[in-house]
Amino acid sequence: MRPTTERLVDDYLKQLDSELADLSRLRRQEIVEEISQHIAEALAASPSPDEVEVRTLLERLGDPAEIAGEARERFGVQPRKSRVLEIATLLLLLVGGVVLPVIGWLIGVVLLWVSDAWDSRDKLIGTLVVPGGLLLPLALLTIVTSAGGGCSTPVPTTGAPEAAACGSGSGGINVLGLIAMTLLLIVPLVTTAYLARRLRRSAPPAL
Amino acid sequence: MTYGAFTGTLRHMVAVQDPLLSQMRRGTLQYCVLALLAKEERYGFDLVRGLAEVDGMVTSEGTIYPLLSRLRRDGLVESSWQESTAGPPRRYYRLTDAGRTALEGFRLEWRRFRDAVDHFVERSARS
Repeated sequence: MRPTTERLVDDYLKQLDSELADLSRLRRQEIVEEISQHIAEALAASPSPDEVEVRTLLERLGDPAEIAGEARERFGVQPRKSRVLEIATLLLLLVGGVVLPVIGWLIGVVLLWVSDAWDSRDKLIGTLVVPGGLLLPLALLTIVTSAGGGCSTPVPTTGAPEAAACGSGSGGINVLGLIAMTLLLIVPLVTTAYLARRLRRSAPPAL
Repeated sequence: MTYGAFTGTLRHMVAVQDPLLSQMRRGTLQYCVLALLAKEERYGFDLVRGLAEVDGMVTSEGTIYPLLSRLRRDGLVESSWQESTAGPPRRYYRLTDAGRTALEGFRLEWRRFRDAVDHFVERSARS
């Protein structure tokens, strides 16, 4: 084959492969392989296929989008929608309140409730666990570290009394505080992961 | 231009029509594939050209491949690679027992359905 005809075929197969993105990797591979074989068989019959011949062949095969549409229908796969808005929603819920205090998170909540990607239960979880996302724990962390800076930074050279006083005075509270703080940091991350998972599941499964 | 308009109308009649009719064609196409495989096993290109040869059955040859893939997943056909005298190995499709049963079932249903539709549609054409 001459380069032009080769390029036509390559472009066609590449386009087909990307149009089939909604199907499983195996299914996609099988269909592209078979159509590639079909093209090879058809062109093998001709001693030196020219551009017109190749174009006619590809036209007979049909638009890659049409083949992919047929494949989705045969396998009961819904076309994947762009998830840009949903991903933005999750990011705003998690860190929107930190970047743009409170307002960023509120925008995230509005986007969450207008989206059809989650059900009401998911939306409640997304809103209430934890309001503000990472704003609350990060704000608390800032307050604690700036207020109790002397305690949290160990000063080995200035002797034992100060360190001992600090440790014995608020040791119990610090441990509890540390656990609470860790939970406050982890829970919003877990919620985000949960909502992201629900997002992936919201497309109906293949038949 | 008149010629273009004519072939345009012709293509329209064959390809588009009513979405329900195109659904019906899609539904029966899989049994035509099974029927083509009932006598002998065939490789993809051969099978597709066999279907496309008959007017009005397939408009885009490439759409047969997703169907073959689906039939294979449903266990109605199976495939195996065989050496070819010219070029790379070919994937040959053949009917499974389940495929044969499905085809037989369709054949009976199709006859009844066809006769029933003819009973009304053909009679109305005559009167």
